[in-house]
Amino acid sequence: MMKVIGKSHQKLDGKERVSGKAVYGHDIELPNMLHGSILRTKYPCAEIISIDTSKALSLDGVECIITANDVDVNNIGYKKDHPILKKGTVNCNRDEIAAVAARTKEIADKAIQLIEVEYKIKEGVYDPFEALKETTPRINEFGKGAEQFGNKNMAESFHYEHGNLEEQKAKSKVIIKKRYELPRVTHACIATSNITAEFNNFDGRLTLWSSTQVPFLYQRDIAHALKMEPSKIRVIQPIIGGGFGSKLDMHPFEPICALLAIKSGKPVQILYSREEEFIASPTRQPMVIELTTGCDENGKFTFREVEIIKDNGAYTSWGATTPFVMMQSYSSLYQVPACKFDSHAVYTNNPFAGSFRGYGNPQATFSIESNIDLMAEELGMSQAEIRLINANYKGEITGQGLHFKTCGAIPALKTVIEKSNYDKIMATPNTGRYRRGVGLGSMLHVGGGAKIYRSDGCGTTLKIDDYGYLTIVTGSNEIGQGSETVLAMIAMEELGIPKEKIKVINTDTDVKPWDVGVHASRTSFVAGNSLLGAIKLIKEKLSKKAIELLDVVTDDWEYANGMMRFNEFEIKLDKVVREMHFASPHELCMVNYFYEPPSKFQDKDFKGDVSGNYAFASQAIEVEVDTVTGNVRVLNVHVSQDVGRVLNPVGLQGQMEGGLATGIGYALTEEMIYEKGVLKNPSFHGYKMLTSTDMPDVHFYPIETYDEAGPYGSKGAGEAPLIPTAAAIANAVSNALGVRFYSLPITAEKVLRALASPTPPKEGLLREAKPVTKHQ
Amino acid sequence: MNFDVISPKTTPELLNAIYDNQSKNFRIGAGFTDLINQFKAQETEGLILINLAQLTEVDFKKISENEINFQIGALTTASELIDNKSIKENFPVLYQAANKLASTQIRNVATVGGNICNVSPSGDMTAALIALKATCHIIDCDGNERKELLSSFIRGLKKTSLTKKELIKNITIPKNFSKNIKSGYEKVGSRKSMEIAIVSLAYHLQMDDKGVITYAGVACGAVAPTIPFTTSACEFLTGKNINDISDSEKEEFAKRVLSYANPISDIRASDWYRKEVLFNISKTIFER
Repeated sequence: MMKVIGKSHQKLDGKERVSGKAVYGHDIELPNMLHGSILRTKYPCAEIISIDTSKALSLDGVECIITANDVDVNNIGYKKDHPILKKGTVNCNRDEIAAVAARTKEIADKAIQLIEVEYKIKEGVYDPFEALKETTPRINEFGKGAEQFGNKNMAESFHYEHGNLEEQKAKSKVIIKKRYELPRVTHACIATSNITAEFNNFDGRLTLWSSTQVPFLYQRDIAHALKMEPSKIRVIQPIIGGGFGSKLDMHPFEPICALLAIKSGKPVQILYSREEEFIASPTRQPMVIELTTGCDENGKFTFREVEIIKDNGAYTSWGATTPFVMMQSYSSLYQVPACKFDSHAVYTNNPFAGSFRGYGNPQATFSIESNIDLMAEELGMSQAEIRLINANYKGEITGQGLHFKTCGAIPALKTVIEKSNYDKIMATPNTGRYRRGVGLGSMLHVGGGAKIYRSDGCGTTLKIDDYGYLTIVTGSNEIGQGSETVLAMIAMEELGIPKEKIKVINTDTDVKPWDVGVHASRTSFVAGNSLLGAIKLIKEKLSKKAIELLDVVTDDWEYANGMMRFNEFEIKLDKVVREMHFASPHELCMVNYFYEPPSKFQDKDFKGDVSGNYAFASQAIEVEVDTVTGNVRVLNVHVSQDVGRVLNPVGLQGQMEGGLATGIGYALTEEMIYEKGVLKNPSFHGYKMLTSTDMPDVHFYPIETYDEAGPYGSKGAGEAPLIPTAAAIANAVSNALGVRFYSLPITAEKVLRALASPTPPKEGLLREAKPVTKHQ
Repeated sequence: MNFDVISPKTTPELLNAIYDNQSKNFRIGAGFTDLINQFKAQETEGLILINLAQLTEVDFKKISENEINFQIGALTTASELIDNKSIKENFPVLYQAANKLASTQIRNVATVGGNICNVSPSGDMTAALIALKATCHIIDCDGNERKELLSSFIRGLKKTSLTKKELIKNITIPKNFSKNIKSGYEKVGSRKSMEIAIVSLAYHLQMDDKGVITYAGVACGAVAPTIPFTTSACEFLTGKNINDISDSEKEEFAKRVLSYANPISDIRASDWYRKEVLFNISKTIFER
């Protein structure tokens, strides 16, 4: 019986965050600190004829200015196709041309305006299909598309297949081919991008206070960019006000800030304004997906064939690698006998896309789940039934080689179908101004990390002090997701040490052991397992000493209330530790442990069991469409997710609601509107992120499958809640109106235009036309 | 942002501040929910801000009534309007407009006078007050007073009849002559709060005890450079029985409202959408 795990615990830093005491990057002030500001291009596509910084340099309070000509640096990004500071040409509207460090932010901003840049404006390329044409000029001079992929503007390309496609096509009774368009959206972190850099010119060491999600990879990337030794760079993470994948890559402003600190000899801080955050931070990858899917006469899926063109933007960040995740969904979400997947990321003069919670999966899932509804309609089968007969199952090894040792897909689907009254709403006639509809969407995502780097592991150091306090030094990172709270809970459970006596140290690369970073819903999984491994070692140490002190023979100690107990024998933990420290043979009560998940690298064909376990979820979402305004309102979200085991219920609920808020915005309102490479809505006025008042009731039903790979049987849960949301909402809107939308967001205007089209659906006939099969 | 602030506490101090700064570039602010954003986007060097937030004069702040009208001080906040029972009972259109404005935090500081003087085509409280045929009471720093109907006080996009010497002291709304009213504010946007209307419709109808419409005030927001009082649509309704308006009459009414619309296309919506929605919501006001 668990005492701590499975019961709700407040976030460790919850009080500091809500009371304003938490120290974010924006709150850092160092002696003699300067403020940095970046000059970005005026035009998304142009040649730079000249840059004149003389007027800016003569402004009182300006301490240094850098341009590409002043620095000796390497290109950055996944393809190393991205100069930190641009010279010669600019390729997108966030391009950095110069940077200033000055005594105040106001002076730095003013100096930026005084830098004179002469441009020769060029007609840019803003459509990836246009970029692929032979006559289109080469966009990124560092791109290796011509050599690698046979097209100069191709940045990255992936091909995957399994099964016999032609055979499965021949078996298909229904084949649906559709084209889906996904918008560019942004993370909209409440804390804007920030960095503070300090360089010690005596020992050549650089300290960065950074919001990165991946401090050790970041250390390596900064080192490469600046031609430094990685270990001379210390990364300290202040409290991070939102990550969501946006901080998985290093972006130009970060080495720029370091360069300003190195050149000026003083600490420098760069803080983005909200407008700059919209313009210059990474986005979700926009793409066009052409998906063909089939099923046989019984509704069993036969094949999926997909071709994706992604707008990579001018440079290559992690967005180009989202196919790693997308091909998992196309190949393995539901049972898929044959799959062929092609994805091409294409350079354009739009801003480059990065990683974003879900990593391509919301886009893939939207297309897959829409096609499933269409196949069911065509076949005359219920949308619920077709999903249930094709759902993933325990023991399944998919075409891609993913091994589902546990699988909550069917229970999750059944739960949301039942709890949402899916069949009843589907069958209810629909007339009048407000039309109700319900839609289903399911998802598959990694739940036990993802072996992409040479190690997907995480290190832990534990220390118990003379007073019985435990310090957990973990390689993992906290970006608000609540992992450090989960780690504290695990220690409370195992060692019986109260929460007040537990410290989690996780913010300093000079101190903490290796970890890949916070991504792929992995932190509680890898850091939890790592901590459990370390706890086992420290228990061995404590046990050995306690046996000696109490003169008993046992390894069956009960740890509770700061005590170790065995039958009538008991001793305080702090007493044991004091005896270790102060009595011969004098030793520390410290241990180190490194956990590496049992997952495997995928082979060159992208096949292999890449994660320690897999998470499954289904959502049934009920919407109400106002036919007068076109607005879609989400009334109820029923979400059931295979989380392996619930560790911290309140934290998990928070992940659900947060993910859904992002997913609902993606479905209905959020879109970065670009005209010829220029962002037209860089504010919360124009970019419609939903607010708390728009949140529907969230009904969450966790499915516990107790997967042996995870800590206490748990699986990663962070990204899942937003992945099937847009898909389920699109299906619900289609159910409500009888009109289907193939692009996101489903704005009020799109809805009204569809309703005003020459063949509007007939009132009242929508629902009756669809057969509803009961299934149990 | 770099500017001087004067914070008068009494009316004479306020009028003196306006008088003394006639030769300078000054702005008057109360809740600052719009003004600060404007300041961020402009050069504020040499600007003087006359801050009304510390003014203690009750005339600027109270909501009161006499036999013929209600007086609302220009510094009344949206939250104070919402909390006032008489406003809620007598003028649901104004209550709803104030309640649909932005968010609680902004409603707590945003004032009626500010909403009017910001002269936005999507001003929520302004649209309601135009439908209610509200009148502005204006004072100047020479001691003069004048009254002007709100719909004529607004002269164009971002333009009012205010001179540099003047400011609004309060707004009056004629009392309802009937208890039988149909009044509301429809705000169309993509989220429930923190929204600026893509289209809005403010309507206030008074009926006799048989249901015959004796007063109709309808104004539409965000569909033209200013918020029009839709006279021809209102005339069309006057004399008709609210319980007996046919579908074709609803269409005619909506068409007449629409005739006042000359919307723009912007990132939030196209002109097509604004017209379509205005027409659609105009038809629906009789249904509830």
